[in-house]
Amino acid sequence: MNHRLFISAITLSLAITPAAWSEDHPHSSEHQHHDAAVGESDTAVNEAPDHQHHHAHPLEHSDDAPNQDSHATLTRTDEIDRALVAGGTPIVADVLGVVCDFCALAMNKIFGSRPEVAAVYVDLDTKALSLVLSPGSGLSDAEIAELAVQAGYRIAAIRRDEAALGISS
Amino acid sequence: MSSRRLCAALLLLSLGSTASLARPVSYTGGLTLIEESDRQATSVLVHFTPAHQWSIGLRGERNRDQDYALYTLHPTWLAKRWFGKDYQGNLYLHGGVGVAEGVSGNPLGEDIAFHGGLMADWETRSLFASYRSRYLDAGHFGTQFMHAARAGFAPYIGKTGDLHTWLMLEIDHRPSERTSFTATPLIRFFKGPVLLELGYTFSINQPLINFTYRL
Repeated sequence: MNHRLFISAITLSLAITPAAWSEDHPHSSEHQHHDAAVGESDTAVNEAPDHQHHHAHPLEHSDDAPNQDSHATLTRTDEIDRALVAGGTPIVADVLGVVCDFCALAMNKIFGSRPEVAAVYVDLDTKALSLVLSPGSGLSDAEIAELAVQAGYRIAAIRRDEAALGISS
Repeated sequence: MSSRRLCAALLLLSLGSTASLARPVSYTGGLTLIEESDRQATSVLVHFTPAHQWSIGLRGERNRDQDYALYTLHPTWLAKRWFGKDYQGNLYLHGGVGVAEGVSGNPLGEDIAFHGGLMADWETRSLFASYRSRYLDAGHFGTQFMHAARAGFAPYIGKTGDLHTWLMLEIDHRPSERTSFTATPLIRFFKGPVLLELGYTFSINQPLINFTYRL
C-alpha cells in the first residue's frame, strides 16, 4: 500500500506543469510585451491605482526572445506601482546567487524592514531586486550592498531612476 | 552536573541549528523551523541566524531503531558561498553538543552526545546537487557515521512565489547499519517560506518526510 501511495505521489508530481499554475499569473506574454514599452510603462505607473495587478510582470521579460545579457528593469507589482505613484525612487539591483524562493524571502525580509523602502520585490527570472524608496528617503549603493550581504547575497550592479525603469537618458 | 542539567543550561543559552538539507543558515535575524524524518530518525529543530554566516539552533531527534532521543545545541557555519548569476554553491560546517537519553523503556539512561559534519550544495533554478555527512558520538548509546548525496532537477521553472517542484534521488550510506546503502527517490515542493519533501526508501520500507518553514 505504501508503494502505491508513493507511486501515486510521483505521478501527481509529474503531472504538475507550469501551465497548471499559470492561473497565478494572469498576465499573458502579450501583456508583458505591452508593458515592456517604456512609454507605456509610464502610463502603467499613472494608472496604477486602477490596476488590479496581483503578480509581477517584469518590463523586459519576453518568453519569445529572452535576453539574459540585457539589464533587468523594475519589476512591476501592485505595491511597486503604488510606491511609484506616490513619488518613490525606483532602484534595480542585479543580485548574484538568487535561485529559489528562500533567497527571495531573505531579500524581502531584509530590505522590507528598512523604513526607507516603500516597496520591494525579487524576481527570480531576472535575478533582480526591485526597490522603490519612499519620497525623500535614500539608500546608497554601499548600503544596498551591505543589506544584500545581510540577506546572504551579493549585488552585481545597481541602476536608479530612469535606468531602473529602462528609460535611456 | 548531570547531563540533563548540562543540556538544559545549553538550551537556555541559545536557539537552535541543524544538519538540515534546506539552507541551514538563513538571512540575518531569520528563524527557521525544520522537521526531518528519514529511515532511522525523526527530528525537529529551530534555528536562528544572528549573522549571515552562521546560525545556532536547538534540535530534538529520536532514533527509532535504537530507542534513544538526542537533544543538542547546534552551531552551523557557512564556510563558503559561491555566487553566480545563475547558481549558488554553499559549504557548511556544523557541530553540536547535548544529551542522549533512552526512550521507550531503554534502560541505558542518559549520556553526553557530540556530533559534527559538513554539508555542501550547488543549485541552479533547474538543477540541484548536495552532500552531507555527520559523525555522532552518543556516549553509551554508541557512535554513528552517515553521509548522503543528492541530485535532482526541476521539471519546470516557476516564478517567484509559484509552487516549485523538484524530483530528487538521495543515496545514503550508513556503514554501521545492516542495510548500509539506500536509495530514496523524493519529491520536493517549495512555495514561499514552505518546503516539503516526500520520499520513500523502498529497500527498507521507510518514508522520508521533511518540512521546513522559514519566518
